[in-house]
Amino acid sequence: MKTNKAVIASAFVAAVSATAAATPAAAADNVKCFGVSMAGENDCAAGPGTTCAGTSKVDYQGNAWTLVQDGTCETDSPVLADGTEVMLPDGKMGSLEALERDLPMDS
Amino acid sequence: MSGTDQGLFRAAVMNPAAAVPSSLRDGSGRPAGRRFAVYRNNVAVSLTEALAEDFPACRALLGDETFRAMAGAYLRQHPPASPLMARYGAELGAFMDAAPQLSRMRWIGDLARFEFALRDSYHAADATPLGAETLAAIPPESLPERRFGLAPSVRVLRSDWPVLSIWRRATEAGAPQAQPVPEDVLIARPAYDPEPHLLGPGDAAFVDALGAGAPLGEAAEAALAVAGAHDATAILTLLIQTRSLTEPEPRP
Repeated sequence: MKTNKAVIASAFVAAVSATAAATPAAAADNVKCFGVSMAGENDCAAGPGTTCAGTSKVDYQGNAWTLVQDGTCETDSPVLADGTEVMLPDGKMGSLEALERDLPMDS
Repeated sequence: MSGTDQGLFRAAVMNPAAAVPSSLRDGSGRPAGRRFAVYRNNVAVSLTEALAEDFPACRALLGDETFRAMAGAYLRQHPPASPLMARYGAELGAFMDAAPQLSRMRWIGDLARFEFALRDSYHAADATPLGAETLAAIPPESLPERRFGLAPSVRVLRSDWPVLSIWRRATEAGAPQAQPVPEDVLIARPAYDPEPHLLGPGDAAFVDALGAGAPLGEAAEAALAVAGAHDATAILTLLIQTRSLTEPEPRP
């Protein structure tokens, strides 16, 4: 089966170079931004067995996130994937990591 | 409620012909009566609504009335096994395969499995895909022995029917009429939404072998056993483009 092994190796190399030539940037256009969602309007990481989209309980909940355009998250006015700008109150800023602030009282 | 009462309650909720459990009382100590019927009706209606939302293509092709009648029968045979509604409907495909009323639509079970796989992929855990540099840096001579993992969101579906074309026809305006050919499908989630891709002959065997932990060389042979002239370039390109290849699970 030596020939098959050479064939699979060259198929793999061809596949890698085909994708390197056309790397889609789309996946990097939006990032998860914590602390900017209105109550009940967060997106969801959808971990195993969870349905958590729309489960945030307070505005700007620190551990809930919404997709925003890359580069706009860590500011006081992140831009949502659809182009809407969010004006955060009281000097709040978005974060690429979950935040400790604005957590619901009962969690 | 005691355990026996809970069992009675559950049985009575799922069976519209069952009597109202006699131990149920309203706030004034009178028999629950029609209040229970209201509750029973809400359970059936909400599960039917969940199925109708989760299987839009099946519903579009069966028609709303037929779909809801079918859902009513399904929810009584298969009440939710998990409190997570995202998991509801896993057995709908097998249920519809076996339903004599649907025997003229023999592809409907595959369509339900396809729609469930899309949703299941959406809810699967995130993974870190292997980047282009990592993949390009693998020495070619070691490739036949190299193992990969698949992202948890990857699903492979084999169908004797044109399941992907039927789904597109049901959900996308202007999609062409399905041709009577079998279709295998790869569902991958490169970013946030699962996307289906049509597979060529042998590709499904290739992906399944990789997913089962076989090295590339063995996966290629598994594909060749199904499709004599299988060339792995297209399926490997698809797997890399959809960010589906990960580091393999550590082997014991």
